[in-house]
Amino acid sequence: MKLVGIELYKLRRKHLFSMVMIFLLVEISWAFVVTARSVSGNSVYAGWKALIAMLSSMNGLFFPVLTAVCVSRICDMEHKGNTRKLLLAMSVKQNRLYAAKYASAAIVMFTAAVLQALAAAAFGITSAFERSVPLFLLFRFLTATIITNMIVAALQQWISMAVKNQAFALTFGMIGGFIGVVADLLPHNVRKVFIWSYYTGLSPVTQFYTGNHVIFSIRDTGSMVPVMTVLIIAGIVVYFAGSFHVSRQEL
Amino acid sequence: MNEVVSTYNLSKKYGGEYRVKDVNLSVREGNIYGFLGPNGAGKTTTLKMILGLTKPTDGKVKVFGKVLEENREFILKQTGALIESPSYYGHLTGLENMRVVQRLRDLPDRNVVEALRIVRLEKQKDKKVSEYSLGMKQRLGIAMAIVSFPKLLILDEPTNGLDPAGIGEIRELIKSLPLQYGMTVLISSHLLSEIEQTATAVGIINNGVMMFQGSLEDLKKGKQPDILEKTGNNWLAQKLLTEKGYSPSVDGEFLVFRNLTDEQVPNVNRILTAGNIDVYRIEEQKKSLESIFLDMTGKESSL
Repeated sequence: MKLVGIELYKLRRKHLFSMVMIFLLVEISWAFVVTARSVSGNSVYAGWKALIAMLSSMNGLFFPVLTAVCVSRICDMEHKGNTRKLLLAMSVKQNRLYAAKYASAAIVMFTAAVLQALAAAAFGITSAFERSVPLFLLFRFLTATIITNMIVAALQQWISMAVKNQAFALTFGMIGGFIGVVADLLPHNVRKVFIWSYYTGLSPVTQFYTGNHVIFSIRDTGSMVPVMTVLIIAGIVVYFAGSFHVSRQEL
Repeated sequence: MNEVVSTYNLSKKYGGEYRVKDVNLSVREGNIYGFLGPNGAGKTTTLKMILGLTKPTDGKVKVFGKVLEENREFILKQTGALIESPSYYGHLTGLENMRVVQRLRDLPDRNVVEALRIVRLEKQKDKKVSEYSLGMKQRLGIAMAIVSFPKLLILDEPTNGLDPAGIGEIRELIKSLPLQYGMTVLISSHLLSEIEQTATAVGIINNGVMMFQGSLEDLKKGKQPDILEKTGNNWLAQKLLTEKGYSPSVDGEFLVFRNLTDEQVPNVNRILTAGNIDVYRIEEQKKSLESIFLDMTGKESSL
């Protein structure tokens, strides 16, 4: 916990939280405008589903990039100032430093996801969607976003810590964002390989087109549990592989 | 005096080539140990192994009498270090950088104040480190190393980037640490003058191999002075003496004899007089530390 506190202290003057807020504001504004338009032309019953489907889809584009930027900023300060050897010479263990950085990134991304869910609820209420706030649906949406974020963060941290040049990690994040957007167009067997596709892949609401109409349907909770379990295991494997690799790097 | 740092056949291989080979280093309590060697000699690699930042290929490190591998946390809690270029968070102020170390080491505020005062950064403490000069960054690095007032202080080229006045200040600071705070200092440098003025014991490393270890006096004593002779015909004198089993070299107007004993000096003189060669002058030339280093490392005096 002490190391996590120090990591957050080190983020001073990095303007990380304001950057996340701006990013989030752009994303949710876009999503809300598009949802408001689509809802006004369709049945009000689709309101919440349309909103969640739209946010999931937007998350596929925005969150991989946002995660890459956050993780990169958290890791890059050790590369820039050559501070890893300073910390290790003060008996900080490499794997603990890695864990503290991951926890810091997780806190930031968790906060972003929660704020997004709260904003979605506020938007639904103020837009007078006919049904009351579907708490369970929002909770499932939040869980899906957080799980996918955590795995993307584990992968980004591995790259950001192992490769000093952060342009590599940021480019990787942007490629992730691109895949996150186009994932729904890929065949099922291909898309399931890419972790960025799970922003929509784990979303509780799925959408499909019949002629000129968009149909929203709610996925069965039970069918999502095995996928989530596999993803969490994959995330754990990526995290420990990264931690092991980075800890063995010569300084 | 107890041994604070001792290494046993410490070796490190990179790409099949030894960067450090069988180094047996011994730093005693209260000493300022100057670890001297040219760039690329293996100083930083050795210091990194002592701090556990690099894993040795072979050999063992003991600090405070304990094996490093098994007691890393215990050892590092009592050790301060500045390795290679100073480490810092450029987006934070000097004071905030110190706070990071303070929180990591659980230190009181007074340590931070004192360390900043010692390196004379009190007035610059609220400035972002990215705006510091290289010398100020170096001072901050030293402040972060001494903030816990450790028993052992390891400084790798601490005067890099400092101006002459700054070098003088840091030198005086290092000299004061054992007396004022009971620290043992292990300082590496490629500058002979720096070590000569601060160290109480020296180790000289070249191409990864320890060439000498002991006091500066021992280093000077260990080398016999050269004997210089000026003759009427140096070329003939050299030829004659070579036939008699001596091996003088010609350096300007002088014949130079290395490792000549007191008994051999009059004998050389007799040979030359018997050979009808005039001897104008016989001189003893004591070796400076600089020339001793040159002999050992075969490199320039700024090693």
